[in-house]
Amino acid sequence: MTLLCLAAIWLAGFGLVRWLFPRPRGWSLHNIWLFSLAVGTGAGVASCVYFLALLLAGPSVAILAPALVVVVAIALGLGFLTKRTGTQLDWAASPPVPRYLRILFLAAAALALVMFLSAVLYNSHGEEGAWSIWNLRARFLVRAGTFWRLAFSSDLNWSRLDYPLLLPSLVALCWKLSREESTAAPVAIAFLYGIGTLGVLISTLAALRGKTMAMVAGMLLLGTASFVALTAALYGDVPLSFYILSAIALLCLQDRHPEDLRFSALAGLMAGFAAWTRNEGLVFAIALLLARTFALFLVRQRLAIVPQFLRLLAGMAAPLAVLITFKLRVAPPSEYLSVPRAVILKNLTDVGRWITMIQGLMLVLLNFGRFLIPIVLLLGLYLYLLRSRPSENVASSESVSYRAALTTAWIALPVTLVVQMVLDVLYEPNLALEIGTSGERSLIQLWPAALLAFFLASRPLQLVAPEQDRKSKPAGKSTRPKSAKSRHSVAETH
Amino acid sequence: LGRQKFVVLLLGAIALASSFWFLLDIVGAVAHRSPVLRVAEFEDRFVDFPKPEPHMVYGYVSDNAPNDPRSLWEYHLTQYVLAPAIIKDSANEPLVVVNYHTKGLDLRMLRNNHLDPFHDFGNGVALCRRSQR
Repeated sequence: MTLLCLAAIWLAGFGLVRWLFPRPRGWSLHNIWLFSLAVGTGAGVASCVYFLALLLAGPSVAILAPALVVVVAIALGLGFLTKRTGTQLDWAASPPVPRYLRILFLAAAALALVMFLSAVLYNSHGEEGAWSIWNLRARFLVRAGTFWRLAFSSDLNWSRLDYPLLLPSLVALCWKLSREESTAAPVAIAFLYGIGTLGVLISTLAALRGKTMAMVAGMLLLGTASFVALTAALYGDVPLSFYILSAIALLCLQDRHPEDLRFSALAGLMAGFAAWTRNEGLVFAIALLLARTFALFLVRQRLAIVPQFLRLLAGMAAPLAVLITFKLRVAPPSEYLSVPRAVILKNLTDVGRWITMIQGLMLVLLNFGRFLIPIVLLLGLYLYLLRSRPSENVASSESVSYRAALTTAWIALPVTLVVQMVLDVLYEPNLALEIGTSGERSLIQLWPAALLAFFLASRPLQLVAPEQDRKSKPAGKSTRPKSAKSRHSVAETH
Repeated sequence: LGRQKFVVLLLGAIALASSFWFLLDIVGAVAHRSPVLRVAEFEDRFVDFPKPEPHMVYGYVSDNAPNDPRSLWEYHLTQYVLAPAIIKDSANEPLVVVNYHTKGLDLRMLRNNHLDPFHDFGNGVALCRRSQR
């Protein structure tokens, strides 16, 4: 029953994104992309519906179940009965993927799956941050009935009471409808977000830079042990990383298809759901709005600023309205507000705390992802070895069309991190402990989006000799815009 | 071409080796069970505890040393298990959950906290009353 409930939520998400970007049924990159986006869209919508139903009508299943059925039916109706046609994503032309890369990718996927299953079988309740915040809140929402506001009792102030409710609502919805508090619900939700993040990363890169680069990026994400570990730990960081990645990916696609503003609207929705997932998501949503405006201004697309800004805002509106309702009517004030100004001022002027923060961040960066060799060094080597010679200046011409999205990503992602770090310096009593326990998680939230931006900005990969390429793949299969195809063909000849 | 193949193979090899290393960590954790209880095992200790109702408030006392990191972890876990009741980390409530790790209830600890035994559920979990004395 839990899985049925999650399937219905996923279908609702699929209906909504398919309504925005319709495409004939069948196996295609576009549908993989839609299925991946559907994970977070359905989950976000379902959690908002649950929270509003709880707030307005109480915890009765008699109201919740029909509300969810109506949402699923409307979404599916919109998605499958629409007669509109819209932008369609297809594989970007690229040399064929070599066999060893497929094997590496499949091996990384298999290892990640084994890691995830081992971790959740060993501890199906997840790590402390999961059960003491998200699942504890879900238990209160389900078990306390009409007294569900006890979940926000001041006696539980160690449990981050001002955190938004996307995950607890989703888990509580599954438990409520399936009438059992099985750990299968949070585990399946975590798995779906993990798969969805991988799907959005791969399908977006496949549409923009080709299958080879998509598989390299996917392999790296799957090989990031911390990402898999945090997925299995049932923390909120991986769902947040899904929304951050999706928002950035949609803005990259917006740059590719500037005439279709639905990309910006859906990016806004994803940023709104990021804010509804964790407080850091709200920082990201604001940073994204500002960064996008600045980026469009910088790349001289000033005419696009107002339409895209308005679509982003429109997309964010519904989740932000739910978040504001939650903050004003349900959640206690943020714990930051209880810290005296004198303490904040003392922390601000304490140079030692800033040094601790920078040292901690450096250490986290070097150990990030539990890679045996620091990933920053590996990516630096990647850039060095794939650097352009003056005669083959492909990267710069290739990345021109995504300059706005890349600028947006390179501003919004660091700003989100820096704001978190500054808040820690100002408010956290035990700064070293905080960096040690949550520094890597903060980076994981941004990691899939950073991978997308990195591979989109780097030079195209050429793993198969051009002769072999010409023999094995007849040209002219893709339906991408002509200008883009010609750009890729430049890359392929080098 | 050679450089590109090299860097992709290097990335793949490091990613796989790192994942495998982490997997060994998990297998090690499963094989050499740590003395700290997992959530499901901790929850099983409360199987005979009466079903908590909303608005019930229990105090909480444990025989863990205050500076033992397990102390806070088990307190939070007790709250997780007994939700929607509220568990206060204090002996100053009419009913107090006692979480102990010895064979029997430590009567001296109860005396020190002014508690009288009310119901010992076994498994290291007991419910005590605030002493009237």
